[in-house]
Amino acid sequence: MIASGIPIYQFSVPKSSNIYGTFNSDKLNSRWRQKWTEIRCCKQKVGEKARTKKNYYELLGVSADSNLQEIKEAYRKLQKKYHPDIAGQEGHEYTLMLNEAYEVLIKDDLRRNYDASMGPMRGKFGKTLSGYSSWKGPLRPHALFVDANACIGCRECVHHASNTFVMDEALGCARVRVQFGDDDQKIDVSVESCPVNCIHWVDREELAVLEFLVQPQLKEGYGVFGGGWERPANVFMAAKTLSKQLKEQAEAESRQRNGRVKVEEETPAQAEARANASMKIQMERFGRMWNNLKPLFGSNIWDQK
Amino acid sequence: MAEPAYTVASDSETTGEEKSSPAFPEIAIGIDIGTSQCSVAIWNGSQVELLKNTRNQKLMRSYVTFKDEVPSGGVSNQLSHEHEMLTGAAIFNMKRLIGRVDTDPVVHASKSLPFLVQTLDIGVRPFIAALVNNVWRSTTPEEVLAIFLVELRVMAEVQLKRPIRNVVLSIPVSFSRFQLTRIERACAMAGLHVLRLMPEPTAVALLYAQQQQQMVHDTMGSGSEKIAVIFNMGAGYCDVAVTVTGGGVSQIKALAGSAIGGEDLLQNLMRHLLPNWEKLFSSRGINEINSMGLLRVATQDAIHKLSSQDSVQIDVDLGNGSRICKVVNRQEFEEVNHKVFEKCESLIIQCLNDAKVDADDLTDVIVVGGCSYIPKIRNLVKSICKRELYKGMNPLEAAVCGAALEGAVASGISDPFGSLDLLTIQATPLGIGIRANGNRFVPIIPRNTTMPARKELIFTTVNDNQTDVLIVVYEGDAEKAEENHLLGYFKIMGIPPAPKGVPEIKVCMDIDASNVLRVLAGVMLPGSQQPVVPIMEVRMPTVDDGHGWCAEALHRTYGATLDLVTVQQKI
Repeated sequence: MIASGIPIYQFSVPKSSNIYGTFNSDKLNSRWRQKWTEIRCCKQKVGEKARTKKNYYELLGVSADSNLQEIKEAYRKLQKKYHPDIAGQEGHEYTLMLNEAYEVLIKDDLRRNYDASMGPMRGKFGKTLSGYSSWKGPLRPHALFVDANACIGCRECVHHASNTFVMDEALGCARVRVQFGDDDQKIDVSVESCPVNCIHWVDREELAVLEFLVQPQLKEGYGVFGGGWERPANVFMAAKTLSKQLKEQAEAESRQRNGRVKVEEETPAQAEARANASMKIQMERFGRMWNNLKPLFGSNIWDQK
Repeated sequence: MAEPAYTVASDSETTGEEKSSPAFPEIAIGIDIGTSQCSVAIWNGSQVELLKNTRNQKLMRSYVTFKDEVPSGGVSNQLSHEHEMLTGAAIFNMKRLIGRVDTDPVVHASKSLPFLVQTLDIGVRPFIAALVNNVWRSTTPEEVLAIFLVELRVMAEVQLKRPIRNVVLSIPVSFSRFQLTRIERACAMAGLHVLRLMPEPTAVALLYAQQQQQMVHDTMGSGSEKIAVIFNMGAGYCDVAVTVTGGGVSQIKALAGSAIGGEDLLQNLMRHLLPNWEKLFSSRGINEINSMGLLRVATQDAIHKLSSQDSVQIDVDLGNGSRICKVVNRQEFEEVNHKVFEKCESLIIQCLNDAKVDADDLTDVIVVGGCSYIPKIRNLVKSICKRELYKGMNPLEAAVCGAALEGAVASGISDPFGSLDLLTIQATPLGIGIRANGNRFVPIIPRNTTMPARKELIFTTVNDNQTDVLIVVYEGDAEKAEENHLLGYFKIMGIPPAPKGVPEIKVCMDIDASNVLRVLAGVMLPGSQQPVVPIMEVRMPTVDDGHGWCAEALHRTYGATLDLVTVQQKI
């Protein structure tokens, strides 16, 4: 038990995470962690992004206050998608992370330790920390949005309007916690104060999509080697293209279904099969985005106390 | 594609890279190579179907006869009588012998088989031979298995009208990685590619998961989580697994297994009937082999009968002037074998403990395998698990059906009705670690860790200015290193001179879903950001045989000069 306990602990404490990085001969690519396997095989390194902390709850797609049953179900669902039996060898790294997260969250004492190591922030704000802003007062046509890609983490906005903006310590950038949490003047000052002009006024309708897209998303399936989290470089563009992609998804799914039948019937060239498989993974990713968006469009999320 | 009947392919056929090809073009077949019987099954598009041989048998005796020029196995060969298998020309029980060295007690027990098994007790392969025209023809368990697998493959190819390449094999839980490599090698010799090697009870667990899933579909009920114990005992091995099943996913919580089975029951009863039989038959002339065969068949028959009746009359003329005429009752049989049954009990209890599952939490108790017909076995499982036994499975076909399901799932096949919406999450049956802290075995991946698994530990040097360290990888659970299976070793060289305890040697082990073990080791010095020597990555096992004396020789030559100790983690 000791042997299994130690690595878990390492993962949950950020300061020890640099143990991984220190083995990394190619520091430019990842400032936090490079997987062992990448030392051996670098072909999967696509769009690698740095990340500061692995969040088990986000990995499993559950909230921090979810019960054992929810965690188990989420784990099984993800395993069914990414286990190497199903996704092939590419699912290996991701499944390892899933197993690690599950191992911790399923055991009461380990989970408590983990929650504690995540800092008091998580306990205090619970769900609201997970990236979406809530509203104070009536809904307005415009809303504030921080482009986390541009944010340099200067804390100016938090300083000027501390009820509206919070610093996401895990990501190292500011974000909106409560829309119009401060009076208009304070908000104006804070927007002005931003040295990189990363605080934008956006339409309320766009906000959900933007806030969803700006959160680092788990890179699905084949891309997990690169560290597992990414966000679009330009969220505004990404938001526009998302609807287009969703439309394409429907088309592609039917295409992919055809491809699947082909695989079953006869053994086609391996290249074709691989193309089908990668297309499928890509499509599933859009499918997941769509699933995540659905509850947001159900508007009641806006007022979350 | 006209393939020769007996192809020898290189080991590289079974590397992990190939296993991981993203698209599997065909449905892999499931094979259960039992110690006594074999079967083949495949997902036929809507359900699992067992393939039959030309004599319409689903279960085929596992043996190979070396009578003629071409050896023939139990798939194609028609036995005129059970005794024919026991003339010395046939090799069977290869699953008990494969990958074992001649110091292994299981090999010693196999010396009573009616062919030649000789041991020198020095930790090398036993000498195994079949009697062909009064000449001992030497062979190996892998060869026998390969010949048998070729026959199975040909049989499947004829029926499915396509070449067969990918297979999922069910294996005993207690198999070491050596034995697994041997199995893979035998498959490669037979032109088969192993997609997965599946511990038998986990194959049964997958079948159980499918049945539960089906029930949920049928009743439209909610798929709640079910905990089941699976007890599988065949002729050669006894395995136990605890699985947690929900939504078609079978999570293996714990595994336990041992090389005990019907063969031991048989030998114990033979010894009971004729106390000095091993001595009587030790010379292995034609007559002795014949008598041994007669006794074997009579005893086997008696055990089968004792499953349904309380006592049995044994009356056998051994042909050498001696005649055994005896009534054996069930109680006697159970007394003779009480050690075997005790071992079974302890395996189940150990498995439940490892899984941290109480008997009261169990939903189902599944007993499969040839020995599941023995009343004592059924009763002891029932009394430990406090449950009636699960009835929805054919005890002899469950493992192969599960293997066929896994074959379909791992081949990327999906079923429109969701019958293949399944997954097995395996656990490691044995701990894997390295030798450190003197002669201790330090597990890095403990037993029953969810697979795929990756764990690491930090070690350091024991001598000042130690430049080399030896990483000796073992598999097992014993505290002393040499009591475990040696998997291989490699050296990390060129560590910069430093006082003892300063270099940080990180050893990481990675097991993927197809059970490939990789060991990585890197060295850090305080203050440096880069590993001071290139990271070593080794695919295990690397030693060719489980030679115990390899480790001894290492120890003799190097002593403690290349040793390692664990670093205490500051929490």
